[in-house]
Amino acid sequence: MTYQHELRDFCAIAGIGNSRLGKVPDVSSLDLIVEAMRNAIDDAGIDVKEIDGIVCRGPDELYSQHQLVGERLGINARFSTTPTNGGASQILSIALAVMAIKHGLAKTVICGYGRDAWSRTHKSEAARVRNETRPDSQLAKEFGPEYGYFGAAATHAFGATRHMHLYGTTKDHFGHIAVDFRTHALRNPQAQMKKPLTLEDYHAQKSIVRPFGMFDCSLRSDAAGAVIVTTLERARDLKQPAVRIKGFGTFNNLRGWFADNNMVETAAKKAGEAAYAMAGVGPRDISTAQIYDCFTYMVLTQLEDYGFCKKGEGGDFVSSGALRLDGLLPTNTSGGQLSEAHAEGMLQIVEGARQMRHTYPPERQVKHAHTALISGHGGNQVCHSTLILGRDS
Amino acid sequence: MSTYTKPIPRPAPESLPYWQAAQEHILKVPKCDDCAHYWFPPSLSCPECLSTKVTWTEVSGRGKIFSFVVYDRVYRPAFEADVPYIVGLIELDEGPRILSNVIGITPEDVRCEMAVHVVFDDITDEVSLPKFTPI
Repeated sequence: MTYQHELRDFCAIAGIGNSRLGKVPDVSSLDLIVEAMRNAIDDAGIDVKEIDGIVCRGPDELYSQHQLVGERLGINARFSTTPTNGGASQILSIALAVMAIKHGLAKTVICGYGRDAWSRTHKSEAARVRNETRPDSQLAKEFGPEYGYFGAAATHAFGATRHMHLYGTTKDHFGHIAVDFRTHALRNPQAQMKKPLTLEDYHAQKSIVRPFGMFDCSLRSDAAGAVIVTTLERARDLKQPAVRIKGFGTFNNLRGWFADNNMVETAAKKAGEAAYAMAGVGPRDISTAQIYDCFTYMVLTQLEDYGFCKKGEGGDFVSSGALRLDGLLPTNTSGGQLSEAHAEGMLQIVEGARQMRHTYPPERQVKHAHTALISGHGGNQVCHSTLILGRDS
Repeated sequence: MSTYTKPIPRPAPESLPYWQAAQEHILKVPKCDDCAHYWFPPSLSCPECLSTKVTWTEVSGRGKIFSFVVYDRVYRPAFEADVPYIVGLIELDEGPRILSNVIGITPEDVRCEMAVHVVFDDITDEVSLPKFTPI
């Protein structure tokens, strides 16, 4: 008898929702997340009072954000918290939900993330240029600002420069990622970006922090997503096709983004190995990937870390057409954070789950999709989480 | 009156000796008395062995560029005259990696692994910034 992890296929996603995406002025991040949650609750066909767990997150300055969400949903909860792992939090939320459900701390948990990043960075011209969504208390006071070192683009650009140095990765490689995700976004009526993008456009882009230009950077969005997690058994009795939670894993390179080889071999490697082990699958079993694309380079390096190609071969992989809807590994099929909207990985979970339901029209559906790998990356670039979902049939 | 408009470091208690040494144009980092490990950014215990026997130790000031980025966008008006400027992650010969500006070379010519050494930029009467330039 082969070993099977006790959490594999124990829970499922029973409801999926998102808010309006992109530019949604005059709506707070809390109202956006509640909008996504209402949609997820309607989708699952349950009553909000059946929810007894909340694990969710919003902008970093919202202290105890889950409490504010519960207040708006009008419910108390047996299990309720807000993780603080940045873009890795959203998959971590689902992991916490599954563990809570397994051990009887809750039965039906709603997970989500919402932000108002477009609105807050477009309040004034100064805010738009500053492009900073973190609260002032979290900004560096030394070893950075005095050298003109600001923004997440530069932090990740250090990794891109290093990868280019080690493996001959090029801007052209990054361009393929931006272009393919934009093509996906054009088929997604909800996507923030509506204009086609060619490789020529990519190379003509405005430089931000070399090697990154505008099209290497993810969007500033007003956006929220939510899912409802319950046991697979219960999910099968609800309105929608259940989406199995096959496995998850986390890893955190806490020694730092600048330490060791972490900018080039990210925590995705060990998080992914743990998720593959729980799910009982490997990279060849994945039908679609939804990768945390805060910057183009991060897609390339994570694809290597997850074993879809060897370390250093990501450039060839992404420029082979593999990421397209009819490619070897259709990736970020809704357009991702580069072209759909940026909700710190929550919309990657939403898209991965929807692909497992096979309810999309043919131009958006990954054919015969049965297993989805989803990644979350964040904190100070060192926290990582991986989720593997499966079609229930 | 100083006309310096860029951010001035606001040191944490544990990094004060770094900036005091920099003011005297000396590059110092914490070194563990027990396991001889050098590290950065500063803290009161050694991240290799957790010893609290720490000595701020002068280092060679030489290292290589582990990685770098080039700012074309002006994030703060005070840096407008500087773009394009280079921010590098310098791996000192003693091991620690320090973020700083790489100066004295164009963005087109800078490369990873390039050998650099420290120079000091006296930005005010009280504060000097360690920066790095190719050897």
